[in-house]
Amino acid sequence: MRRAGAGGGAGGARLRLAALLGPPLLWLTLAYLGSLAVLLLSAFWTTDSFTSDVVRTWNTDNIQELLTTPVYRTIALRTLAIAVAVTLLDALLALPMAFCMARVASPRWRRPLLVAVLTPLWASYLVKAYAWRVMLSEDGVVNSLLSPLGLHGPGYGTPAVVLVLAYLWLPYMILPVYAALERLPERTLEASADLGAGTWRTLRSVVLPAVRPALFAGSVFTFSLSLGDYITVQIVGGKTQLLGNAIASQVTLDLPMAAALSAVPVVLIVCYLAAVRRAGALDAL
Amino acid sequence: MAETEEAVRCTAVTKEFGTGGTVRALDAVDLTLRAGEFFSLLGPSGSGKTTLLRLIAGFERPTRGRIELAGRDVTALAPHRRDVHTVFQDYALFPHMTVEQNVAYALTVRGVRKPERTARAREALATVRLDGFAARRPDALSGGQRQRVALARALVDRPAVLLLDEPLGALDLRLRQEMQTELKELQRTTGITFLLVTHDQEEALTMSDRVAVVSDGRIEQTGPPLEVYERPATAFVAGFVGTTNLLRGEAAVRVVGRPGAYSIRPERIRLADPADAPPLDGERTVTGRIADIVHAGAHTRFTIALPHGDRLTVHRQNLAELPPTARPEAEIRLVWDEKDAFPVPG
Amino acid sequence: MRKRTTSAWRSAAAVCALLLTAAGCGSDDDGKAAHAPGKLGKGEGKVNIIAWAGYAEDGSNDPQADWVHPFEKKTGCKVDTKTAGTSDEMVSLMKTGQYDTVSASGDATLRLIASGDAAPVNTKLVPNYKDIFPALKQQPFNSKDGRMYGIPHGRGANLLMYRTDKVKPAPDSWRAVFDDAAAHNGRVTAYDSPIYIADAALYLMRAKPSLGIKNPYALDKKQLDAAVTLLKKQHKAIGEYWSDYQKEITAFKGGDSVIGTTWQVIANLTQAEKAPVKAVLPKEGATGWSDTWMVSAKAEHPNCAYKWLDWIVSPKVNAQVAEYFGEAPANRKACAETSDPNHCAVFHADDEKYFQRVHFWTTPIKQCLDGRKNTTCTDYAQWTRAWTEVKG
Repeated sequence: MRRAGAGGGAGGARLRLAALLGPPLLWLTLAYLGSLAVLLLSAFWTTDSFTSDVVRTWNTDNIQELLTTPVYRTIALRTLAIAVAVTLLDALLALPMAFCMARVASPRWRRPLLVAVLTPLWASYLVKAYAWRVMLSEDGVVNSLLSPLGLHGPGYGTPAVVLVLAYLWLPYMILPVYAALERLPERTLEASADLGAGTWRTLRSVVLPAVRPALFAGSVFTFSLSLGDYITVQIVGGKTQLLGNAIASQVTLDLPMAAALSAVPVVLIVCYLAAVRRAGALDAL
Repeated sequence: MAETEEAVRCTAVTKEFGTGGTVRALDAVDLTLRAGEFFSLLGPSGSGKTTLLRLIAGFERPTRGRIELAGRDVTALAPHRRDVHTVFQDYALFPHMTVEQNVAYALTVRGVRKPERTARAREALATVRLDGFAARRPDALSGGQRQRVALARALVDRPAVLLLDEPLGALDLRLRQEMQTELKELQRTTGITFLLVTHDQEEALTMSDRVAVVSDGRIEQTGPPLEVYERPATAFVAGFVGTTNLLRGEAAVRVVGRPGAYSIRPERIRLADPADAPPLDGERTVTGRIADIVHAGAHTRFTIALPHGDRLTVHRQNLAELPPTARPEAEIRLVWDEKDAFPVPG
Repeated sequence: MRKRTTSAWRSAAAVCALLLTAAGCGSDDDGKAAHAPGKLGKGEGKVNIIAWAGYAEDGSNDPQADWVHPFEKKTGCKVDTKTAGTSDEMVSLMKTGQYDTVSASGDATLRLIASGDAAPVNTKLVPNYKDIFPALKQQPFNSKDGRMYGIPHGRGANLLMYRTDKVKPAPDSWRAVFDDAAAHNGRVTAYDSPIYIADAALYLMRAKPSLGIKNPYALDKKQLDAAVTLLKKQHKAIGEYWSDYQKEITAFKGGDSVIGTTWQVIANLTQAEKAPVKAVLPKEGATGWSDTWMVSAKAEHPNCAYKWLDWIVSPKVNAQVAEYFGEAPANRKACAETSDPNHCAVFHADDEKYFQRVHFWTTPIKQCLDGRKNTTCTDYAQWTRAWTEVKG
């Protein structure tokens, strides 16, 4: 009797848990994975070339075109290169910035600095991108600052895209790195110095390994956000075309082709996550 | 000559914290460690003993004064330029490295080649009896094991001085006693100068060749454990090192029979029956009432209330049964050798 | 801002379309059966419009240009305007079914009619329709089977804009952005849409007669390849492409672009920003547009939509729009209402000879629009891919 009662209690708890988690899980599966599945599925459909309406006839033309047309390969590689460059640049910028915030600045200053880093996130993405457009313009601030040095700004183009994307996503890299550095005990750094390591050695052998998971966590943001971006590139990219632009221009006219194209960043991100996971960096997330 | 060689010398070292030196952690401290000795800094928390250790390690710079290691001025030298290693209270192992990588770190930093590095790390691990743990990560070890890894890591390249900051504080009693023995043994076999920072007087007294008692940023007394215990130079030392009955002013006149300040160790006082024979020559006796009896394992602690409100603590080794008269509220006579009431300054 | 909202809608449209098609309840069939209303009811108090920049001004860009507020006051229909940068955007926005009416160009109209997103229009319910130039009525791009699918709005040409201080001598040919583009390396701009291929084809009609291009929207494979080759060459000199008119204004103002294709309204706005620019119709003629206000087959506010149609082609308003945007009005009575009495003459409002030199945007399809029967032409999907390739 008693056992049966206890079992019933456990079953009830399980039922409650299922009731609690069920709806969000269902939502996640249907709305999130479901739409992704539909997206990938529609890559195998085709369109009426005149009305742009989707015709649900199964074929692999889009995939074939995607794989055989050189321009798509060029665009995919360019997008990948930009995402990697943005991620590296952000890592390079975030490390010293987060280090100063977490370990050099006095505790009193940490919160204001953190707020300062986060504040740009409150501003509209577009405002920031257009601000950069104005700054990078031919008669903009960047050029007028650089001209006394005999230099010229990057203008609109791929370097500008990397620069602006790196600026936009920097907080997403700084935050996890800052958190990791703040968690790093002072004693650990002292221990390293105590055992004979100079500043650089300590950074390389102790600090870097400690923030590596955070760098990877941040890079998941910077990498995937860069892969999907197509607005910044329209604003400061000059004539640069990324995967996002190719998808956006196809969405109107050829939804299945756009779906096939959007499979590319999905695959890239899955590969990246797998690589990052192999490196053991997701354990810390 | 080994006897005259100095491992560490601190001269008039002052350390102030806060803007404008609002907090003085150390006040003109002089300290000399002989090469190869086991030296303890004993004091309550906040006394400045850890600050002194951190100054010697180089984590902090003194506000004034001078620090020498083996005769060389290192006052302005960064920690990694000093031939000194530290065992931290929380061990501060590198979590992303294996035990072996942790232990070999000092060698890696110095560019020792891998085969030698591995061999010496294994050797160091063997000395702390951790063979077979080389491939583990620190988070897979128990507290005592981490402690030993920290020791092996600090000893692997044989520093001139090893600084230990409350190294046994986090361990339970049994393990702590075991480690005390091991530490002492390690120090003897390696011949390295050990500087132990502790608030545990038993630890300091049992392990050290010499002890310095620190209070309020000053060194109160330096000397061999027995001397510090038996002949405390100040009232603070008398009170902090071991328990004692401290008597001063009117109480001294009433109990000791002379003016001044006196310390009587509780174990030096004998309990006697009031009806017993009168004290011998050179002995002093008072009578009082048993206020409290506490059984503390190997000994029993009595609190005796004297007339005029004075109280004395008496320790009695539990060698034999307590006499039936030793009950709370019973009248009792206390006897001690007059030499055991020794004067303390301050 | 505009761009962002547009893009958000674009993605929303994509998701909606996906979900709809996935659910197998594609709404595309509903529209084809749509009928023009027989009579109008009361206004619904609201109308959602998709328009080219400058077509539905409420005074926020230029206090003088406001024909939205008077409309709202007169009809009680509150106007919500979405500005689109390209015809493709307009088509995708219309597919969401959230808009009542659109100012579609010839490269969007037929697609909207064929997909059933646009409904036929009962011209009797638009009193001002009677004053529209006859040459704009019952045209292949705005009617089907003798039924009008919208009310003509106006027409004009895509112009060549240049910085008068940077481009000398003043250009009079599209050669300046094609074969001579290298002279302004990195400072040339072009319209970011597949339909821009027609601009290259138009130039090739004169520059390379051997290709035999008769109509820049009727290109066989070989002709398309020639246009693409020309555009790829141009690509080297391009600084950036534009589809957002604000972007072109800032580019010319800042000197990032010094020469390229434009609309009259953009030239006007850039001049208003005190940038030394001028826009000309090159000697080869130009591509251009003839716009039609269409009503959505799924219009939620059809009565207000009809009121807007009548309002926007009423002589006074049609004159205002035509002057502001820099195009020829569709209503002949508008010519009497323009503040510049010569406007209609300058923009050749009733000069059919002139407009024969302007090739209105139209959707390229497999059947060659120039009447060739012995070959198939490239369709818009191929143009789209070609455009992606041009941009590389």
